[in-house]
Amino acid sequence: MSLTPSQAAVMERGLIDSGFNCVLQMPTGSGKTWLAEQAMAQVLGRGQRALYLTPLRALASELMERWRERFAPNPIGVFTGEFGRSGRAYPVSYHNARLLVMTPERLDSCTRNWRSHWGWIPEVDLLVVDEIHLLGDRHRGARLEGAISRFRRLNPFVQILGLSATLGNRVELAGWLDGVEFASDWRPIPIDWRFVRYRKANEKPSLLLSEVGRCVGQGGKSLVFVQSRRRAEALSLFLAKQGLRAYHHHAGLNHSSRREVEEGFRQGSCDVLVATSTLEMGLNLPVRQVVLYDVQSFDGNEFRPLPTNQVWQRVGRAGRPGLDPSGEAVLFSPTWDRAADGYPRGVFEPVRSGLSQPRLLAEQVLAELSSGLARTRSQLRRTFGHSLAAHQNRMPDLEGLLRQMQETELIREDTEREPDSGELRLCPTRLGRIAARHLMEPATVRLFRTAMLDEPEASFFDILLLASSSPDCEPLLPVDFEELDSLGDALARESSRFLSKARSELEDRLGVGGKRLLAALKMSQVARAWTRTGDADQVAELTGCYPFEVLRLRESLIRLLAAMADIHRVEKPGDHRPPRPPEEEVSLADKIHALSQMLQAGLDEEVITLTLVPGVGPTWARRLKQADITDLEALAQAEPEALAALPGLSARRAYQWMDAAVELVRTRSAFWYRESRPSNLTSSETSSGTINGVDPYRLRRALDLQLRPLDEGMYHVWGGLEPHRVWLQGSTWDCDCRDAKEGQTCKHILAVRLARGDRTLKLAVGTVEQGRSEGPINLRDLWFDAPSPGGSSHDPWNR
Amino acid sequence: MEPIVRALNTRGGKIRFPAYIPVTTFGEEYPLDDLVRPYLPRLAQAMMVSYHYARNRNLSDRPNLPLLVDSGGFSALFKDARIRKRNGLGCIERTLDGSHQLLSPLDALDLQERIADVAFTLDFPIPPGTKPAEAKVRQALTIANAHWALANRRRSDLLLYACVQAWDAASARACARAYAGCPFDGIAIGGLVPRARDLVGVLSIVDAVRAEIGDKALHVFGLGKPDVVAELFRHGVDSVDSSSYVRLAVDGRLWSNPGARITDPSATDRLHLALCNLAMATGQTLPLGASRWLFSTSILQRLEEGQTDDSR
Repeated sequence: MSLTPSQAAVMERGLIDSGFNCVLQMPTGSGKTWLAEQAMAQVLGRGQRALYLTPLRALASELMERWRERFAPNPIGVFTGEFGRSGRAYPVSYHNARLLVMTPERLDSCTRNWRSHWGWIPEVDLLVVDEIHLLGDRHRGARLEGAISRFRRLNPFVQILGLSATLGNRVELAGWLDGVEFASDWRPIPIDWRFVRYRKANEKPSLLLSEVGRCVGQGGKSLVFVQSRRRAEALSLFLAKQGLRAYHHHAGLNHSSRREVEEGFRQGSCDVLVATSTLEMGLNLPVRQVVLYDVQSFDGNEFRPLPTNQVWQRVGRAGRPGLDPSGEAVLFSPTWDRAADGYPRGVFEPVRSGLSQPRLLAEQVLAELSSGLARTRSQLRRTFGHSLAAHQNRMPDLEGLLRQMQETELIREDTEREPDSGELRLCPTRLGRIAARHLMEPATVRLFRTAMLDEPEASFFDILLLASSSPDCEPLLPVDFEELDSLGDALARESSRFLSKARSELEDRLGVGGKRLLAALKMSQVARAWTRTGDADQVAELTGCYPFEVLRLRESLIRLLAAMADIHRVEKPGDHRPPRPPEEEVSLADKIHALSQMLQAGLDEEVITLTLVPGVGPTWARRLKQADITDLEALAQAEPEALAALPGLSARRAYQWMDAAVELVRTRSAFWYRESRPSNLTSSETSSGTINGVDPYRLRRALDLQLRPLDEGMYHVWGGLEPHRVWLQGSTWDCDCRDAKEGQTCKHILAVRLARGDRTLKLAVGTVEQGRSEGPINLRDLWFDAPSPGGSSHDPWNR
Repeated sequence: MEPIVRALNTRGGKIRFPAYIPVTTFGEEYPLDDLVRPYLPRLAQAMMVSYHYARNRNLSDRPNLPLLVDSGGFSALFKDARIRKRNGLGCIERTLDGSHQLLSPLDALDLQERIADVAFTLDFPIPPGTKPAEAKVRQALTIANAHWALANRRRSDLLLYACVQAWDAASARACARAYAGCPFDGIAIGGLVPRARDLVGVLSIVDAVRAEIGDKALHVFGLGKPDVVAELFRHGVDSVDSSSYVRLAVDGRLWSNPGARITDPSATDRLHLALCNLAMATGQTLPLGASRWLFSTSILQRLEEGQTDDSR
């Protein structure tokens, strides 16, 4: 095999063999993975272990298949969230695997519980961190950094090999790792950049058809990146109707559907793939043409231009070796905005440490204390003194953070002192340990703890709402404006104490507001629907999300409820709750436990009581329900002959179950779980049509927008789905958006008028703000609110 | 002409001389040993464990290195211990929590047969100040135990070292002479740790033994300080064992800079210190990439001078 110039350069310099940590920055397709494979082969050849980190579960499985033969007979283990739980054992154990492939989250967990992994950690000679630019990811970055730091301290012999195509501060990263760096911009196939300019957003689809049609007509394949799932589906349908073999790809599809689409693309049954950022990294899908249909994305708060790193991650796929003389990168850009013209220069954004955020640093403090790797303030200072955040002079005030964590009862000072220094030891409290054990942000633990103490009579829906509001719940399910009415109707049927609170009180209780609160309400609705039907497809159809999302949400909530149950068991000092007599109503702890089982099984609160009977699991509970035995009382009163007639149930077991049910109903009742207090949540209607003659909906949306003058009497307005132009025509303002074409005073015009000091509008804004926090929540008001769902970098609106 | 390489071929692998053999323990008493142990194969050729820390322990996950197991004779120095003569052999009787425990040559050999690649016979240290009569009794029992072990060894691949206990060069020579012509695989000198400050005296004992045993492998128990070890090797000692590399690390110290100290070392700080100390003792090099994580003289110097950021 002949080496590429960059591969040859790396090998000639001996970077892989040097033993130094190494950061390699090379474009997509230029052979980084091959270099990593050489390093791994050397390590395995001398009988040591290698560890490969990949950010994608799907890619981990793909790599294992690819390397099984390459590195035989070394056993290869894959350790991702798909295994370990739900009875699905790892194909190869940690102990036996010589090459371990895992996600950064799994490594984080291993290093926090390092004592359980001490049989293999010291034997790892090589840690490959693929897509090392993820150190800068707002959520995953801090955990990746913490994991790398702990691993290096536990195993000082490990060599780290970091790979990326897009690093703005490669030298700085190599310095942090005390290693060397190498960069090359050689690509097997050069990229030709083209800009497609449009004056109006409605011109884009036909322009896309022209571009993609030309590519396919010449025998090429095209990958189109868009900013939302809905757009991916709509555009792929549009292209298909024009005769192209086009499909869509996004995170709403389950794994098998995504793999099917990917395979179809590879094998030739599909020529055009319209995708969200799911195809940005990793998977091998070579194409001739990459189209960036949208050069902005929603970052959780607003629409922003795509970072250069992300543009290049996407564009890097253009050009198939042996088939295309060059790759084509096509960027759609409005005629009046040249900001995108800078992308081809490839000036990448620097990777910034996530530990610069205090809440994420707090999580890592707990991880260090819980794992026993640090016990005092000075040890923590030394540990984080080696962090990337410290290296970049972006460390928050650690002392201040520790004080805050003590005040919020996540850590405490022990009475024991270190024997030599006399320094007091720091320990995580039980709450702190729970946060560390469940890989949760401290904010989540505090949220749960406070809410459960103050709301002991929370309903099932309230518990779900609490969990859905936490920063650790995923996936976020955004609410479209069109869904507000149906959501309001669904919520009105739920039993909930929370929903009858005033909006400001509810936002304080849950720690979220605006669109994030709406998302939490929807997620709670989805989860509750799941407990009532146990059918992901049905729930997805009912709630306007995807079946895969229903199942992922269920998984996430089960994890959060486990943490909630642990937190609930922690007594507050001075709180000596007497044990509840069994005949009293079900406790919050019982509800959390029951709800967890309901989520596991997809059963409601009555049917779940059947599982209290020893030997009745979810499967049997479902079968009994089908036989009209829907709760514990019904089982206790069932006819033995009828019960024994059920296929697979012996008479002996039927009698055992009935006897157990009779005994149980003395102390428990299915009635106790029933909830009968619907919320008094109003629907999504607003309290008034217009405010000072201005449509409040458009006015609220206008507040989210940004603008800059282009010329005298002309503005560029952005922050919505598309950028637009607003100009003065005579004495009135006009806009090129559809809303304005239909005769409305659109939000873009309102934004310009506000910026120019329109007094009427300013008064209207004041009225809107005043009515916000009073009275029960109003969904439409929540939707108008500018703050949005927790700034998730997973881009919940647009996967 | 091929250079002569002295080595010991054990069931668990070859040990090239001179060799520093790190002492380790199994169990929970010394947590740092658990951290260091997996790294021993990177920095050492073999490892030593005492009878007391190997008995009733799970050694199934031990590193893949030749294992040397001593007899536990140092327990004769404990306050509750008494040396007894039974059937011409020496035993150690201890009273622990009201119960009597006996360590006999059979007990030691039994365990060594099961797990060791190299075994040391049951000996009785003779600390400075021991009365001459008592010293002679201890030496005689040490010699008797050694001969008994040789006669009763069952595993043909278990290498057996006879132990020398003495109070001066002359008595050391006499003890070594008692093993002359016997097919021991090596001779081990004990009881030098309390005499370590008198390096001249120690070396005179070593010279006396070496003169008697000819080419046999010679081991010294318990002396691990690098400069002392260097002298011992120069005087013909083939191997030493010591736990001081890790005891120093517990205390936050580095051999290469004895004056400096971390007053508040974390678990991984101690691990790194121990690895540095061990590398220095065994003459192995540490990976370049570990330089930030492991200590150097200059780093400790800065800590000693109280530089505020505590960063290395």
